[in-house]
Amino acid sequence: VPAPSRSAAAIAALALATLGFARPAPAQQTAAPVLLDAMTTELHRAFASLGKAGDEKQLPPYFLSYSVSDASYVGIRAQFGAVVDSGSNHARVADVQVRLGDPKLDNTHAAHRSSAVNSMQLPLTDDREALQRTLWLATNTGYGTALDNYLRVKTEAQVRAKEEDSSPDFSQQTPQTFIGKPAPPVVVDKAAWERRVAELSKIFREYPDVYQNAVMLTVQNETDYFASSEGSRIVTPHLSARLVVFAVTRADDGMDLFRAQTFEAETVDGLPAQAQLAVAIRELGKSLEALRKAPVTEPFDGPVILSGRAAAVFFHEVLGHRLEGQRQRGDEEGQTFTKEVGQEVLPKFLSVADDPTRSKFGDTWLSGTYAYDDEGQKAQRVALIDDGVLKTFLMSRLPIANFSESNGHGRAQTGRVPTGRQGNLIVTSTKTEPESDLRKQLIEEAKKQGKPYGLYFEDISSGFAVTTRSSPQAFQVIPLVVYRVYVDGRPDELVRGVSIVGTPLAAMKRILATGDKSEVFNGECGAESGTVPVSAVAPAMLLSEMETQKQAQGSARPPILPIPGADAAATKEAK
Amino acid sequence: MSPIRPIATIAGAGLLAACLCSTPLYAAQPIRADAEAAAEKDPLLKAMLTELDRSMSQLQLPGFAKPFFIQYRIEEVDDFETKAEFGATEGSSRTHQRVARITVRVGDYKTDSSGGRGDGALQLAGLDDDPIAVRSALWAATDQAYKSALAAYAQKQAELKQVQTPPQADDFSKEAPFVSLAEPGKLSLDEAAWTERVARASGLYRTDPSVKATEHDVEYASAEFHARVTTTWLVNSEGTIVRKSASAFQEGFGVGTQAAEGMRLDRSFATNGVTLKDLDSQAAFEKHAVAQIASLTDLRNAPLVEEEYHGPVLLSSDASADTMRSLVASGVTATRPKLGTEARTNGPFASSFHARVLPEFLDAVDDPSLKSFDGKSLLGAYTVDDEGVPAQTVKLITAGKLDSYLIGREPVRDFPQSNGHGRAGVTGSPRPAIGVLKVTAEGGISSDALDKKLLDIGKDRGLKSVYFVETLGGDAPRLLYRIGQDGKRELVRGAELADLDQRALRSGIEAAGKDLWVANYFGDVSQTVLAPALLFGDVTIRRANEKNDKLPFYPPPD
Repeated sequence: VPAPSRSAAAIAALALATLGFARPAPAQQTAAPVLLDAMTTELHRAFASLGKAGDEKQLPPYFLSYSVSDASYVGIRAQFGAVVDSGSNHARVADVQVRLGDPKLDNTHAAHRSSAVNSMQLPLTDDREALQRTLWLATNTGYGTALDNYLRVKTEAQVRAKEEDSSPDFSQQTPQTFIGKPAPPVVVDKAAWERRVAELSKIFREYPDVYQNAVMLTVQNETDYFASSEGSRIVTPHLSARLVVFAVTRADDGMDLFRAQTFEAETVDGLPAQAQLAVAIRELGKSLEALRKAPVTEPFDGPVILSGRAAAVFFHEVLGHRLEGQRQRGDEEGQTFTKEVGQEVLPKFLSVADDPTRSKFGDTWLSGTYAYDDEGQKAQRVALIDDGVLKTFLMSRLPIANFSESNGHGRAQTGRVPTGRQGNLIVTSTKTEPESDLRKQLIEEAKKQGKPYGLYFEDISSGFAVTTRSSPQAFQVIPLVVYRVYVDGRPDELVRGVSIVGTPLAAMKRILATGDKSEVFNGECGAESGTVPVSAVAPAMLLSEMETQKQAQGSARPPILPIPGADAAATKEAK
Repeated sequence: MSPIRPIATIAGAGLLAACLCSTPLYAAQPIRADAEAAAEKDPLLKAMLTELDRSMSQLQLPGFAKPFFIQYRIEEVDDFETKAEFGATEGSSRTHQRVARITVRVGDYKTDSSGGRGDGALQLAGLDDDPIAVRSALWAATDQAYKSALAAYAQKQAELKQVQTPPQADDFSKEAPFVSLAEPGKLSLDEAAWTERVARASGLYRTDPSVKATEHDVEYASAEFHARVTTTWLVNSEGTIVRKSASAFQEGFGVGTQAAEGMRLDRSFATNGVTLKDLDSQAAFEKHAVAQIASLTDLRNAPLVEEEYHGPVLLSSDASADTMRSLVASGVTATRPKLGTEARTNGPFASSFHARVLPEFLDAVDDPSLKSFDGKSLLGAYTVDDEGVPAQTVKLITAGKLDSYLIGREPVRDFPQSNGHGRAGVTGSPRPAIGVLKVTAEGGISSDALDKKLLDIGKDRGLKSVYFVETLGGDAPRLLYRIGQDGKRELVRGAELADLDQRALRSGIEAAGKDLWVANYFGDVSQTVLAPALLFGDVTIRRANEKNDKLPFYPPPD
């Protein structure tokens, strides 16, 4: 089940017209590291040995790959103004993929797909014997699983009726070679950052109704090594630094209200300055205090504006996930767009592309950037929707009807089988207007429809933060900050508890115009193949109609006693 | 006692009451001034007491009961782990956290809100001593725990109306407040050196000249080191104030392969203690590891055990300690029985109070004050339990008869008080558990005498051979010897034990050794069992007939 990106963020407001298309700096090719050599050696030994013992039940694999993630990580977490966790970690994990049969029908067919990968922890040092012996074990286990699954796939193929989509199980691709420079070790001044993170969390003491907060810094430098029996040999670094702020309050009627904000950069030094972060946290605190006092929304069906940030989340969740290739193949859910290729699915002035080769949008780093995907395919810019017309899907090496090849979007968290996923989803428009004009149009549209107000969605989150990991709401979007924009000139009014009714997809066809500035949302996105970093970029949008209602809410009371230190905060306020 | 008390009064009440404590195992009672001074010097403790006072005096939902009991327990854990495989490190991790567990009870001692699943709420607390941060974490969890307690209390009242038989004991025991302030612990060690040391041990299969030629087919060879220092702060609304610390260190090794027909062959061992000095030296550890690697060849060449055998089996003291832990340790703890029943407690000894559960020549005592035995430090030793009750020595089984149970603050029939055995893992709620379970035999005999007796019983029954279990891995023997009438020992493999149960304990033990084995179990709640070798008269040994996994599909790398 596709679970949406956890959080929205980051603020790039730049005229689209003036945007330089920043590409990743041409990474430097270097000599093959020992790890890649050990992987290649063991892979070829395994490929040459497996199924060659003369036992006809032991088929030789037609494909074998090793994908090793070598990740160093530093994490610092503060809540209530103090560091509660500060740790670091370094681990190497090998994902072994074994394919038996042939690309048309192999051991990973249909429901057996998740069995394609077998993972094992690898030694951290360049000790060839230890590395190869571990890979040998992982390959053995993976091959055993593959044999078992292939047998079942063959049996099932004989007893089942013809499948709706009879595409092969694995696409033919050209092997890739790229030996990039391994990521450097993570360098974080832990003492300084522990202080910074604690100080940021402490700011929430100025907002005593915020009863829970967390500020988390995670810095991860990862090198991905890939080798396959087709001859691919790839080494690519992936660096990321992320600061997540999360805060919760509860209205007197029991409605839980949360806000989250994240800041991303390639390295920790690229994160915003402390003063800038402090401003953002105060805004979050003020926003929650205002929200808990805001009136509860009324049912509404009328015109709305999505801010750029809200539109970015909306497109990622509502459109992006439905354009993942494998969803067109399943017999169950999600074939929304399968038969709409070549047809108009959005207004003509909108185009949507996914471009992992871009690392920046204006000055903002895009967290969905990568050079090669998790199946060793070169990242590509994919024009998904051109002038409103659906062109293609986000493809891994799992073919679907009419689309037989990967377009470099096979992505997965370590330990999972890659599927088609988003990287940097970028929405562009040819019908742009200054946002002030958009607002005027919203008021006119509301008047035309006889509504006292239109709605302005400033911030939207996905269901991820408020539902459990085991039961994510498919494609759900949760409006967090929504204002009523009155037609009679009254000031805008914040409301709380807004939830979108019906299928949000229908609303996309009712986009009338967009703003002239785009905003970036960086986040982490969870779906079948695990959590991967993503970005979405979109301008603000005016929609002629969206139906909303009051969200279901809890009835738990706010905390009985004031939060410790609240007296001090109140005194300060009084002064 | 009024629930509203300033810190000084709490400390004072604690001191006074501690003097009345029935069996004060813990002698070092700081005087009142010391407790006050300690709280002043310990900002974490001071913050806990401040928030506890505020909650006890002010926390109440209009129209509902106030809490009658609140307890704050903060565990500061400093933990280091490193693991290696095939001669190379797989990584290390250092964890340093403070976990606060908050218990709130509403109702009264007789009937309160407590349920079966562990009451309360958890929060991470700040690692620096910022009082507002600590209090905020406690405040959040207290609010949550109180609201849950109100709901649980209402539910319990409803459940009580459903049953005819009233509860057999109060829900919560009244205990005298106890004050004890030990120094916080610190973990300091050379992480790099230990990382290197386990890496080296895990590579012995390929570096040690005596085994490297024969153990080419090793499928895992791993070593790990784990160090943990825990400091616990515990305060409750009855006036108990405890600060205590514990440490545990362990180095372990494991190696395995498959026999020709696919059977898994595994060996492992660990050395542990409460200080680094308690562990085996590197040389001794490596010698032990090499011996285990070498034993894989012996196991691979060993014949399969016969299909089924009934007769005398001698368990080494090592194997006996594991057996006592699985059959006795779980039975001697007293936990609240299901509502509406007349049961005293749960488990195999639920109805065995004053009944015979072991032969008359065996005694069992749980003595958490026993810090070392035979020169070895005991991981299960402690002075105050995780409910702030001083540990007591409990004579559990005397001359084979069950005389008592291990119990925390949830009473059962005839056991209205805790005996200081409410023990908890870092995030868990306290449950009764053994500390140091010591099993001794009146008239225990020497190892040679046991061997002779084993053979004699075999002869009497006309058996061609008998069995000796040297070590267990889980419930199955790892090293099992068949002993012929001539006394010759032969290693066999592929066996499992059956009929080794409470009945065999009660009436099937023919003799016991005189020397006790020290078995330390490093865990979330560390435990120790001391036990002699035990000769059982009639146990079943049979072929395990487990699925033999496929041998590797292709040979290992050179």
